[in-house]
Amino acid sequence: MGFEGASGLLFEQAMAQTRMAVCLTDPNLKDDPIVFCNEAFQRLTGYQSEEILGRNCRFLQGPDTDQAQVSKIRDAIRAEEVVVVELLNYRKDGSTFWNTLHLGPIYDANGKLTYFFGSQWDVTDIHQSRSEERHAKALAREISHRMKNVFAVIGGIVNITGRAMDAREVSRRINERIQALGRSYEPTLDEAVLGTIHVGQAIRSVLQPYDPEGDRIRFTGNGVRTEPNAISAIGLTLHELATNASKYGALSNENGTVDIAWKHVKDKLGRNSLEIEWKERGGPVLSGGPDETGTGFDIADTLLSHSRGMLERSWESDGLRATIIVPVSNS
Amino acid sequence: MKTFLVLEDEPLIAMDLKFAFEDAGHEAVTAVDNEEALACIEKGNIAGAILDVSLGRGVTCKPTANRLLRDGIPFVLHTGDLNRVGEHLREIDAPVIAKPRPADDVVASLLNLLKEAA
Repeated sequence: MGFEGASGLLFEQAMAQTRMAVCLTDPNLKDDPIVFCNEAFQRLTGYQSEEILGRNCRFLQGPDTDQAQVSKIRDAIRAEEVVVVELLNYRKDGSTFWNTLHLGPIYDANGKLTYFFGSQWDVTDIHQSRSEERHAKALAREISHRMKNVFAVIGGIVNITGRAMDAREVSRRINERIQALGRSYEPTLDEAVLGTIHVGQAIRSVLQPYDPEGDRIRFTGNGVRTEPNAISAIGLTLHELATNASKYGALSNENGTVDIAWKHVKDKLGRNSLEIEWKERGGPVLSGGPDETGTGFDIADTLLSHSRGMLERSWESDGLRATIIVPVSNS
Repeated sequence: MKTFLVLEDEPLIAMDLKFAFEDAGHEAVTAVDNEEALACIEKGNIAGAILDVSLGRGVTCKPTANRLLRDGIPFVLHTGDLNRVGEHLREIDAPVIAKPRPADDVVASLLNLLKEAA
């Protein structure tokens, strides 16, 4: 075969050019020494070929090399199997790198084991970003946990104060709003890393307590994200809508439903906005709108106007239709 | 009037829950760690319990939960970290209430649990 005749030359050229560090060891010699290594191998490890050849690969290991990974290598060599392990190796200057080592037996034409082929890939970058990601996630979770506790403690303070001052009704309403606010930020806290939050998750967690069975409120959205600062107004507005629905609307009887849909739109002034539609059905029959003064809608209107948004309401006979529109800077 | 156990290391939350039990016409004893909680159960006549899941420094309410399960006393888990509950307490068969939640709601769900069990 022509290929076989040229293979020596081809092998050398390919090995010289590849950026993958490659070595061959000879298991038929005592202690399975390295008998070939390419340029990339020398660059990766910091050793010259004359310092490498004749030594067993273990000279790249050090105190923090995971021995469980090393024994995987040993087992694979003994069983003449292919193995891929990731282990911490040491350069000549003592610095470390994460090495994805691929190791496998090479047989001659008669099926006799002649070499072990080892290719090593420096995956320190991947390793680092993986551990940074893990760290960031753990941190976000810890913050989320603590924030939820803080909201719970604030709730406790408000309740205790309300009891002491004989203002339970007021404290209860303050608390409901605080807790709704806390829930609106839940998804933000859990994925604090990303900087924007999933509108749908915020909406779901705000409304969850109003639909404990999960069959009265239906959600439709398309993975829209927005920056966290729009969320407090949206969260509190949804809370007021849900409170109203629980008292007088579709959530006040056995079988009413609420449909919520959200999407990005251009508002009347051409700004990127988030639009949330709220549709109640199957509640008690309404005859026109209720007296809205002193209700939570006052607060919702005020909050939304500060965000340059609005809450449109229309009281249809089969239930309230409401639309929340809030400008968002990124969409 | 029944007596309930509140295991919670955050005093303001514990106090709030205790008052909520009183509002509901019951009384509550509070414990800040598993040792105190187990001692309360030892004394007897605990009708039900609210357990904060993480009690700081990696300690969970598991010893107390196990004891309550053994004695057949109903309880709910009250936690701000649902993920960690999944890791530590998956095997414990008890309702989980996510913090923050109004104390009255937490108490109401435990009282419901008692009603169902009766």
